[in-house]
Amino acid sequence: MRRWQIPLFWLLAALLCGGIILKTPVAADLTLFVPRADPVAELLLDQFRSGPTTRLILIGLTGAVEADRATVSRRLAEQLRSSGPFVRIANGADALPEAELHILFAHRYLLSPTAGPERFTPEALRAALQQRLRELQSPLAVVQKRWLPADPTGEVLTLLKRWQGGIREPAKRLGVWFSPDGDRALLLAETRAAGYDLAGQRQAVTAIRAAFATAAAGTPVELQMSGPGVIATLAEDTVRAEAELLSVLATLGVVLMLVLVYRSVRTVWIGALPMLAALLAGAAVVDLLFGKMYALTLAFSMTLLGETLDYPTYLFSHRQAGEAVRDTLRGLWPTMRLCAATTLLGCLAMIAPDVPGLSQLGVFTIAGIAAAVATTRWLLPALLPPDWRPARVIGVGVWMDALLKPRPRLALAVGIAGLLTLLALVVKNPPVWEDDIAALSPVPRELLRLDQDLRNALGAPEVGQLIAITAPDAETALQQSEIVAAWLDAQQQKGLLAGYEAVARTLPSQQTQRQRQAQLPERDVLATDLARVAEGLPFQPGLFNPFLEDIAAARTAPPVRPEDLRGTLLGTRIGILLFPDERGWTALLPLSGVREPKLLAAGLPPSVVGQTWYLDLRAETNRLVAGFRTTALHRLTWGVALIVAVIWIGLRCWRGVIAALIPVSIALIVTVAALLAFGERLSLFHLVSLLLVLGIGVDYGLFFSRPAADPEQRRRTLHALLVCCGSALTVFGMLATSELPALRAIGLTVSIGVAASFSAALVMARPLLTRMS
Amino acid sequence: MKRWIGVLLCWPLTVVATDEALTEVMRLLAGVKSLQAEFREEKTLAMLQQPLIATGRLYYQAPAYWRKQTVQPQPEDYAADGEWLTVETMDAGKRDFNLNGYPQLRPLVEAIRATQSGDRTTLERYYRLEFQGTSAEWTLRLIPLDPTAATYISAIVMRGKNERIVSVETLEPDGDRSLMIIESH
Repeated sequence: MRRWQIPLFWLLAALLCGGIILKTPVAADLTLFVPRADPVAELLLDQFRSGPTTRLILIGLTGAVEADRATVSRRLAEQLRSSGPFVRIANGADALPEAELHILFAHRYLLSPTAGPERFTPEALRAALQQRLRELQSPLAVVQKRWLPADPTGEVLTLLKRWQGGIREPAKRLGVWFSPDGDRALLLAETRAAGYDLAGQRQAVTAIRAAFATAAAGTPVELQMSGPGVIATLAEDTVRAEAELLSVLATLGVVLMLVLVYRSVRTVWIGALPMLAALLAGAAVVDLLFGKMYALTLAFSMTLLGETLDYPTYLFSHRQAGEAVRDTLRGLWPTMRLCAATTLLGCLAMIAPDVPGLSQLGVFTIAGIAAAVATTRWLLPALLPPDWRPARVIGVGVWMDALLKPRPRLALAVGIAGLLTLLALVVKNPPVWEDDIAALSPVPRELLRLDQDLRNALGAPEVGQLIAITAPDAETALQQSEIVAAWLDAQQQKGLLAGYEAVARTLPSQQTQRQRQAQLPERDVLATDLARVAEGLPFQPGLFNPFLEDIAAARTAPPVRPEDLRGTLLGTRIGILLFPDERGWTALLPLSGVREPKLLAAGLPPSVVGQTWYLDLRAETNRLVAGFRTTALHRLTWGVALIVAVIWIGLRCWRGVIAALIPVSIALIVTVAALLAFGERLSLFHLVSLLLVLGIGVDYGLFFSRPAADPEQRRRTLHALLVCCGSALTVFGMLATSELPALRAIGLTVSIGVAASFSAALVMARPLLTRMS
Repeated sequence: MKRWIGVLLCWPLTVVATDEALTEVMRLLAGVKSLQAEFREEKTLAMLQQPLIATGRLYYQAPAYWRKQTVQPQPEDYAADGEWLTVETMDAGKRDFNLNGYPQLRPLVEAIRATQSGDRTTLERYYRLEFQGTSAEWTLRLIPLDPTAATYISAIVMRGKNERIVSVETLEPDGDRSLMIIESH
């Protein structure tokens, strides 16, 4: 092969991979954790993508004085109502548009829950008329009296309260919603776009920002926003910003280190090639096989860089005068090959068709490591002059022998310390796993706290708790949701929850509407009763004729169906809680202030047709995450078995296997213990990082126990491993300072793990080899 | 014809004169620091065969406290203090409203409260003012500026003598009206 053929081939492959990657979306998606064919999980995913609670944006206004906050709240609401992306803006001072009011008015006797037979008894009618008369006395009557002739029993008022109430109304100050302490004015915006529609959510968030800028101009009022859409867009922004900053810093750190150690700029770009190859190949293969990449895989790819940077470093440090680059590589190849093979095979165990998330990690690693090691082995010698050698400032010297000198007692002590740590972990059995989805989320904690604060203050339904009813048609779904709503009322009385929202509260089922119809009084009876009870009251004769006519019309009117309200605000709100999908129809009842989710879930009235589910989204996701983690651990065990087998095949001696594996085992124990001591709980991000520590640690063990008798060779190996360890610490130490839980978890775990692996391998690998021989 | 021209020529003069009188009345009203009075209100509504008659007491404390306490035919209490309106009725109990949050209530409250405190600026925010008479005996007609308010109220007419409001008449577009006669002591 000619010299340029390999670089050309590499370049073409890299371009091809790049082309594939550009077309593939990154999914920050829960499907990652979801095993196939789990009906609850499917409902759950729908809820996370587009459920009604994912459309809510909670807004808080702080700063300045109360009056300013109230004024800004009012102006902001006004502006947002006239802009496109929102179905509803509520701030306590919201009124239903006149046209919608007339829809409610037209259907009042079918829709109003208070329009029962008890409302039309002579006694009740008399009481209602007397009350209306008293209201006429009021100076405010000018506004209300227009409803009187057609609605003496006040059904419109009942309906209006239903419409405006929502779950639980916050306290009002200066006419708008405020938090209980009065520090925040509160607004609730419901977006037209579903929660998963990030572009739509971003548009809504931008609209709020813009409206706020004009509404709050000249006042020191500050805007706070939360809700799933806001969190998603803000998270995307902060993660991107922080990841970019940290990766720039980390790259600078590594470049600086390589230049300082080798005094050669060439090491920088040559060293970057295997890393680049790993990223491109890993991402491209994942894209080809899965069509999308999970955010978790992307996070893992960062950790993989730590391992791929090691391969060229081995080459750089082992270069010596009078040896061609190709020959150096040939000398290193058995160990390097073994290093790569252990990682590759260890990851094979993770590939399982029913757990796509885990398979992705495996596929990415395998493709990435294979590409990196191939690049090091074949591309690098093609690019480097055969006699190239980096000038080493911090060189290979005799001083290293002191470090390399076998210290059996120290090795024994380290081994015993490791065992004791393991024993302590087993005995103490501290809570190890963090399965809470919130801890996995790249969202800054303060934002989550703000979300909880605003949610509590607004009494907005939590994203966490809801009841989902699936049924073949809208009517059945409505009927079942009425049964569930009645049951929830009883539970609310018992204090098990603070409130709930249900479509049946605003739109009763046709069955209920027909029952109401059947109980409406006959015209003649009502007319007689009304005339009798109006005696002695000053109402004009015939004043209530519109009332009599409307009741008569309501008795034969067709029931209101969801489609009758299409195109109205009422219809939009109903459509969020009741909608058709591939399962037929789904009705949702979001809950707020749930005290005992388990009790509620257990007592749920069953459906006759269709299904009723209690979805504790948090518990369900946590269950899925825990399931994912268990599967991952289970597969890892197989991976370790495979690694042992590969090393044995490579070294053909159990001593070597033990010398390579004992240090990394101890390093892993120490890392876990250290993380727990720091108060961390292990999340999936820790777990994938431990996987990387395992890969790197095995490499260290293998290199330290290389069968090279030559002390000069050993010094070079130590040099290489010092640089590897140093660069890994530079990159991951940087990540450990991140505010983002995921980056911090990765950084901390790999930093501790690499340092521990290096120390353990240095101290133990040779004594283990020599002692046992 | 000549008479008409004369009237037209004098028109600006009368405007200036009435404006001066209005300023004077406002100044007189602003001088009242507190007030207690009895009222009798008669509401004539198309829906009812006979007028509704209510009696009770009024209280005023400069600059922003104004209370209407109905005693007959049933107790009701409306107290406006600054931005707040507290309403207490038999049927709904006691409720607080913030006037900023209820744009339809604000003009109703300010009509009498801002007049009583001689606050012309506030009055002119919600109403067009038409003044007739002299500061000794005057009529101030308030016509709502806001079109929504105009659908409820066509005018509120205050009649007074010097610093004393004698009556408040509310006229609605549908012909309904109420007349409140105030007797201070």
